[in-house]
Amino acid sequence: MTETNTSALEPSGDPVRVGVYVCHCGGNISDVIDTKAVAAALAAHPNVAVSNDYMFMCSDPGQALIIDDIKANHINRVVVAACSPTLHEITFRKALQRAGLNPYLFEYVNIREQASWVHKGDHEGATRKAVRLVAAGVEKVVRQDELFPIKVGVEPHVVVVGGGVAGMSAAVALAGRGLGVTLVEKGVALGGRVADLDRVYPTEERGADLVQDLTRQVEGHSRIDVRLGSEVVGLDGHVGKFAVTVRTSSAAPDDQDHLVRAGAVVIATGFDHYKPAQGEHGFGESPAVVTLPDFQAALRQCPASRRGLQVNGRPARSVAFIHCVGSRQIDGVHAPQADGKVNDYCSRTCCTATLHTIRQVQSRFPDVDVYDLHKDIRTYGRGHEAYYEDASRAGALFFRFPDEEPPTFAASTGGEYAGTVTTRDILTWGEELEIPVDLVVLATGMVPRDIASLIDLRKLPVGADRFLQEVHPKLRPVETGVAGILLAGACQGPMDINEACTAAQTAAVKAAILLANPTIELDPFVAVVDGERCDGCGKCLAECEYVGALTMADVEQAGATVRHAVVNPAMCVGCGACAAVCSPRAINVAGWTLDQFDAMVDAIIAEDVGALAHTECRAGVRHIEFAVISGGN
Amino acid sequence: MAASTQQLKADVLVVGAGIAGLQASLDLADQGKSVVLVERKPSIGGTMINLSKVFPTLDCASCITTPRMASVAHHANIDLFTLSEVDGIEKAEGRFRATITKRPRYIEEDRCIGCKRCEEACTVFLEDDFDHGLGAKKAISIPFTNAIPQYPVLDAENCLLCGACAKVCPTQCINFLQEPKQVEVDAGAVILATGFELTPIDAKPQYGRGGFPNVLSPLQMERLLAPHGPYGGVMRPSDGQTPSSIAYVQCAGSRDKSLGVPYCSRVCCMYAIKQAMLLSGSLPIADITIYYMDIRAFGKGYEQFYQNARAMGVEFVKAKVARISEDEGHNPILRIERQEAGTGPEEVRHDLVVLSLGMVPAWKPSQGGLIAVEADTDGFLKSPGMKLSPALTTMDGVFAAGTATGPKDIVDAITDAGAAAMAATNYLARTQPAPARHLP
Amino acid sequence: MSPEDDLKILIITTMISSYPGANTVGQARLQYSPGTFIVRVPDPVMLPEEFYLDSFAKGIDGIIIMSSGSDCPYEGAYPRLSKRAGRVYARMKEQGIDTSRLKLTTICTVCKAAFLKEIREMQQNILKAKAA
Repeated sequence: MTETNTSALEPSGDPVRVGVYVCHCGGNISDVIDTKAVAAALAAHPNVAVSNDYMFMCSDPGQALIIDDIKANHINRVVVAACSPTLHEITFRKALQRAGLNPYLFEYVNIREQASWVHKGDHEGATRKAVRLVAAGVEKVVRQDELFPIKVGVEPHVVVVGGGVAGMSAAVALAGRGLGVTLVEKGVALGGRVADLDRVYPTEERGADLVQDLTRQVEGHSRIDVRLGSEVVGLDGHVGKFAVTVRTSSAAPDDQDHLVRAGAVVIATGFDHYKPAQGEHGFGESPAVVTLPDFQAALRQCPASRRGLQVNGRPARSVAFIHCVGSRQIDGVHAPQADGKVNDYCSRTCCTATLHTIRQVQSRFPDVDVYDLHKDIRTYGRGHEAYYEDASRAGALFFRFPDEEPPTFAASTGGEYAGTVTTRDILTWGEELEIPVDLVVLATGMVPRDIASLIDLRKLPVGADRFLQEVHPKLRPVETGVAGILLAGACQGPMDINEACTAAQTAAVKAAILLANPTIELDPFVAVVDGERCDGCGKCLAECEYVGALTMADVEQAGATVRHAVVNPAMCVGCGACAAVCSPRAINVAGWTLDQFDAMVDAIIAEDVGALAHTECRAGVRHIEFAVISGGN
Repeated sequence: MAASTQQLKADVLVVGAGIAGLQASLDLADQGKSVVLVERKPSIGGTMINLSKVFPTLDCASCITTPRMASVAHHANIDLFTLSEVDGIEKAEGRFRATITKRPRYIEEDRCIGCKRCEEACTVFLEDDFDHGLGAKKAISIPFTNAIPQYPVLDAENCLLCGACAKVCPTQCINFLQEPKQVEVDAGAVILATGFELTPIDAKPQYGRGGFPNVLSPLQMERLLAPHGPYGGVMRPSDGQTPSSIAYVQCAGSRDKSLGVPYCSRVCCMYAIKQAMLLSGSLPIADITIYYMDIRAFGKGYEQFYQNARAMGVEFVKAKVARISEDEGHNPILRIERQEAGTGPEEVRHDLVVLSLGMVPAWKPSQGGLIAVEADTDGFLKSPGMKLSPALTTMDGVFAAGTATGPKDIVDAITDAGAAAMAATNYLARTQPAPARHLP
Repeated sequence: MSPEDDLKILIITTMISSYPGANTVGQARLQYSPGTFIVRVPDPVMLPEEFYLDSFAKGIDGIIIMSSGSDCPYEGAYPRLSKRAGRVYARMKEQGIDTSRLKLTTICTVCKAAFLKEIREMQQNILKAKAA
């Protein structure tokens, strides 16, 4: 479903007439650079029709000079030599637009920050350099195409994959914004992992209440279509217009697959609890060794009675909690996971979850002896530290084991307690301690869910920790490399409920931005293929990192079918990796063509601006338009 | 109301233009919402623009912040007020009315071209607040290299009124008589991104109350490490010597009830580790020691970052630092008790010490002004919907982003801002009749 | 005019990092030779091997590619760029062009000292190569 949305219009045939404007910047430039000499030198360029210098080009009268020349002197390309483009590129582009000229037929030459301010002692040298730089700007702009923003039609609908708190949170936010949502949940009910929790830290709300609150909002929303027992099995298209196939296995065989058109996709597939290996701290070998989630479930079911804490029908008078099980693993100390690597990351949530659980034990069963065996206590969050303090005050004993020597458990036969935990404790100067316990609780970390089939649909990026990987933790924290596919919650890395909901709402806002208008407008600086030059060799394809941005297709050309590269401008980011390997120079980034760079070098080398060749409106100079709108409803 | 009061109407008023306020503003404006963004300081960018590199990617902070700052400054849907203070926000009939004072820069902004000639001509040197007192600036100066907007500010308290700046200004934009301006904003929702401050360096008598020249705040160290820092390298403020032994005192302003900061500040472990890594890069022979209680490297990629620092030779010592003094050569002396050796208290001398200070709110409701939302016991804004609706405050229609609701690192502050923008958007959808467009 | 000022050094800068970095150098009024020509690109990965070789053939004395390194916003661009630079070096050797006339480096938005150092070193490299 790739639309051809690149079209090359016929050359206008107008002669190329450049206006050059050299700014004094109130002496900031002209005290060092002879701006009159620069303007005079450029006047000799065969394509330059007007060349002037002026006190302040950015001022209204300065901009009026350009606008008047466009209207009265038929200037159709503009070069301004002034300060940095970061300050006024937009100013001048708007001026061109006001005069009826395509705003991209403009080149900005920086002769302040990158010339007059850095060559103060060499007026002649700075002036010579400015002439060469402005000449390079002229050579670039005469080869510049008219450009137009890329417009992509959008479906005002989002598919959210995963019905835990993150997925529900994203769905509710998006529906509130007026977007349609398909919420796809693999299981038979919404709620995910939070539904398993009794109380949550630090608010002490019930997990079930949180889930119910969100579920009610989801189900009460007419714009949210919940699909339980369902999975995403197809994910085609691009930002603005994805085609998502949702499969509901329980439906009638001929009615299982449901095609949803969506402008964006939010992945909220969550996490799995780490399952300890056989024998890891005695796990699987003794019923006295359980994971934290299992212990929490047992605790929930254990009645408050005089018999004290009972787990799996056995009394638990002394309990040791071991942190970092399945997290912060070390090569050579811990057995590798299935992919051959250890889980070297911190699972972020288990320290506070453990201490929160310890507090529940202490308050309900004050007679239970509690031991906490950790590397570091990471109660970083708001209100988390209090659990640590309170647990300590209520008598929990804290031992810090060395990274390389995790505690071990040995079951005892016929002893008073179920077994003994042996650990070295840094806090008592490395002493080896033996702790008699009835129960060992392993604070298991988070591991990514197995979503290989979903990942494979779009080659979604996965980090070394096997969680889904964002583009950049600060610049684009919930975006994947595929535009329009967003991440929400623990599919991206360990998070608690608050953090997962925050991430989900951020993913929702990014989707809302993409889908705020009937069309997305993207920068025009993307790869463009010249069909006449492309020989269909396919080298460019091997360079492209962005799946779907570049494909080979059979195209009708002059009555014949030829194979050549086709760019999807909605997916291309304009890095130009493809351009560098195309020997016939058939593929270029609009606004940054290789012919332009070559011509700039020629101008920098040239000793005489007047001797540079006159450039006609060549075949290469075209109006490039990406205007085709795909989609809508 | 003065006749000259500027009146503005906006969908959302965002208070604070640090990274959270910038991100929240962009996330609103990019949806087509109109935003008024108010920043107290002369430039946007907050604390982040002041940093050298950021964990865990070691990206240059400026490289990540400046594009966002520029996007905000150029955004058609964002009205930006810098050097401006929100005096108060009142809620009436479902909307918010804010009064803002725009303090004078003493230059005409529409004429200034940011050329710094005034700065060159000025003869008055002052302590540079961007470099946290380690460098000097002029009484009229652009706040820092990549400040946005690129306008100088004249420090009226210290200006000699000599007129040297006005004489050299090519656009005659200096106006010594400029008055504060009043602005009134009528907004449909409010986002508070009021940010944090470090716990004061002089708070703890045991650590010298900020009186030792070679005991630095972490932000001072950020400036020493920045490629555009005040000394062009890491040197001791007392004598300009290159330090060969540097120590970090963790939890110097956090997890400490005596300071009224019982909570963990979340970022100090990571910034200390990051600075240690940068220091071992720029001073390869220096010994770097981090005295800590627990290393809290909990974020994505943080634990691996911590382990890299250990592998690079940064020494992590689990010890409490009871007291800091200095010798006659201004070498800081730390009285520590190692928890792993049990040899009793000992004194160790370092060339340079950084106190890993924590975070306290930059604005507390108890200070009054701004808006009548409630604080929690930790002084930060209360989050009544902490688990599912983290951006809520105690006032309907007022949302919080970033460190206004507690210590956060940059990654978390940025995602937090997105959630606040989403919450504000949906509040508007519920409460404000929307003009006909693609989406409500 | 000093020999450095007569050189034509091409400095390829990126939109995200080194171009603003060059502006930072200017804002600080740090001085360097005018024999330097800054060209702005979205990313240097778009320039083919021939661009460098042709530029040398045309009379460019030295080229400094100031990439964004790990700050590069484009997926996989930096590894590709460094591989390409490797191939350009090989072809420079074949053609008898002193390889010190091409430098691939990383410059950030505030890397003032490093920016100046790269220019200084390139000038020395070129003058040494010319003398040889």
